[in-house]
Amino acid sequence: MLSRLAWALVALAGAMAWGVLALHRGETINAAWLVLAAVGTYLVAFRFYSRFLATRVLGANDRRATPAERLSNGRDFVPTPRWVLFGHHFAAIAGAGPLVGPVLAAQFGYLPSTIWVVFGVVLAGAVQDYVILFASMRRDGKSLGQMAKEETGPFAGLLAMVSVLAIMVILLAVLALVVVNALKDSPWGVFTILCTLPIAVLMGFWMKVWRPGRTLEASAGGVVLLLLALVGGRHVAESPALAPYFTWSGLTIAYAMIAYGFVASVLPVWMLLCPRDYLSTFMKIGTILLLALGILVAMPALQMPAVTRFVDGTGPIFAGKLFPFAFITVACGAISGFHALVASGTTPKMLVRESDARLIGYGGMIMESFVAVMAICAAALLDPGVYFAINAPLTTLGGTAQSAAEVIRGWGFTVTPATMTSLAAEVGEKTLLGRAGGAPSLAVGMAHILSGAFGRGLMALWYHFAIMFEALFILTTVDTGTRVGRFMLQELSGHLWRPLGRTSWYPSTLLASGVVVAAWGYFLVQGVLDPLGGINSLWPLFGISNQLLAAVALSVGTTIIIRSGRARYAWVTAVPLLWILATTLTAGWQKIFAADPRLGFLAHRALEAQQIADGTLEAARGARLMFNDSLDATITAVFMIATVLVVLASAREWVLLLTRRKPAADNESPFVETAYAG
Amino acid sequence: MRDSLEAMLRIIRRVAGMPDYAAQLEHLRHCHPGEPVPTEREFYESYLRNRYGDAPTRCC
Repeated sequence: MLSRLAWALVALAGAMAWGVLALHRGETINAAWLVLAAVGTYLVAFRFYSRFLATRVLGANDRRATPAERLSNGRDFVPTPRWVLFGHHFAAIAGAGPLVGPVLAAQFGYLPSTIWVVFGVVLAGAVQDYVILFASMRRDGKSLGQMAKEETGPFAGLLAMVSVLAIMVILLAVLALVVVNALKDSPWGVFTILCTLPIAVLMGFWMKVWRPGRTLEASAGGVVLLLLALVGGRHVAESPALAPYFTWSGLTIAYAMIAYGFVASVLPVWMLLCPRDYLSTFMKIGTILLLALGILVAMPALQMPAVTRFVDGTGPIFAGKLFPFAFITVACGAISGFHALVASGTTPKMLVRESDARLIGYGGMIMESFVAVMAICAAALLDPGVYFAINAPLTTLGGTAQSAAEVIRGWGFTVTPATMTSLAAEVGEKTLLGRAGGAPSLAVGMAHILSGAFGRGLMALWYHFAIMFEALFILTTVDTGTRVGRFMLQELSGHLWRPLGRTSWYPSTLLASGVVVAAWGYFLVQGVLDPLGGINSLWPLFGISNQLLAAVALSVGTTIIIRSGRARYAWVTAVPLLWILATTLTAGWQKIFAADPRLGFLAHRALEAQQIADGTLEAARGARLMFNDSLDATITAVFMIATVLVVLASAREWVLLLTRRKPAADNESPFVETAYAG
Repeated sequence: MRDSLEAMLRIIRRVAGMPDYAAQLEHLRHCHPGEPVPTEREFYESYLRNRYGDAPTRCC
């Protein structure tokens, strides 16, 4: 009785906070309301909806031994206490997506992204992660691709695999572009990030050669050296002799990252990849905890309006209306197909009890959503004028603080040139104008929060700390992603000519790494050279591809639920699937065919053809831009067609199962009673 | 005191996905008694092969 009363209070508090957010009509609103609304919703959803999923839909059974128990090998199949595994899983799913996506989507105001981040997670994103984790656990830790193949047939399996590879290429390109925009012309940032390379190699030798297996010692030393490099970066940036060596243009950084991706993919993992992975995991967990603490202490007021005029599709950061583009831009903060890969990777092999999957799958994604809520707070606490000055493309703003101020005044926000100049000086940069990509504005927001909570006067240090943290773990995604892409390509090309599939054969490794790097490198360079700043076209492409992968995962989940004989509950994955398909296919269609050249790739291509004919665009450059538009349109179409095919193949399976033309036998591993004491 | 420090370090290792040699030794003693035991170096190498094999371990 008492607990019912407590839950009623939690629900009431959450509902009240939503009410305040929805009805508020003042200049600013405190971030506390946002946090309260989110947390209230999470608690109620976790307590009631995820329990419904566990008991009714999935049928979690603690008498059944998990793969960690049955196949225990002390290496990857390791029974792991649930809170430890929660940390492990969260560290694996949290990345740059939930931080960058909501910052970009703040163009529509803070309310649309907050609603989608919170309700999207509890009804779709967390359901996907949980169902896939549970299904993989019941199948000895099989991957999403293997499950797609088993549940829907080999064709769907192959399609899923090719889509994952293609999505990886777009993902790596767009994340690399975020780093380029954060580090260009910033000697402090470039110096700090360059320092991570020798630090990682040093850690690698420590763990492999000098003191084998002592990973914690090496990581502790690495974190200390990294913080020293961060402090040292300031002296480099202020030194007239050293600063020019570390002041790199966007294109230079892009080529350096491409070279780095290739080297990291072919070098032995112990030398670079593994130490950087540890370093970035610790920085990530530490920074997210610090940010949460900072928001709780500082309780900043949000300056951004709840909804801006740009819901009509005229936004400067990316084109397109609130529907469907808010749902594409927020990306991983609400639902991410990529999580289905992690949830069918290491985590299912470590669960002690079936009931633990609820906290780890559903709860882990709630945590990710909370990171996205913090990113929304960090973006929305900036003055909207400042936010748009940082994030709008330079071509729109004109090159100077003066012209930027005038353009932004035209949008109905105010920012003085002096504000932008002094803000840049305060964070130790020459300029903050036109740094699209989300990372710099997030870093400014984080610096505000952290310096507000833990002492003023350190703005520049906090800003570069935030930049370093974002660049560090994006680069970790770039190097591990390139390597994973290389393995997938080798596996696929092994079907064509067997030796190409041997991951230990050096020529094949060099070739496959080169192809993967060239693929994402091409999109990266395209983004850097793009007059609109690249994020404008690449981020929606990434959002679309990631959501389409989520559609594949939700289809597999629906098939699994129907096959297990619980078809009456199939709506838990089928309804989110329909919503994801509606938003993503609409967005994809508009990106290809919209008549507005800012939005549609084909219309943009036609505009360029016109400009070449008029003589306002140089022919060679124009031809390249036109090719890029055709390429982007083709890729979007391929993603859409591949996903629709997988969903159709799944739907055929559902009909066969529901009309009993196919027996509802599941592909789970046989039941084994657990030996653990209840 | 020493035990709780060890327990904490083990938690940190697990969260970061680091190898845990002590856990491996326990597992071998428990499930495969009498079989040869890898050195810490050998264990670290097999861990690396396993972890950075072919499936994504990190996300966007």
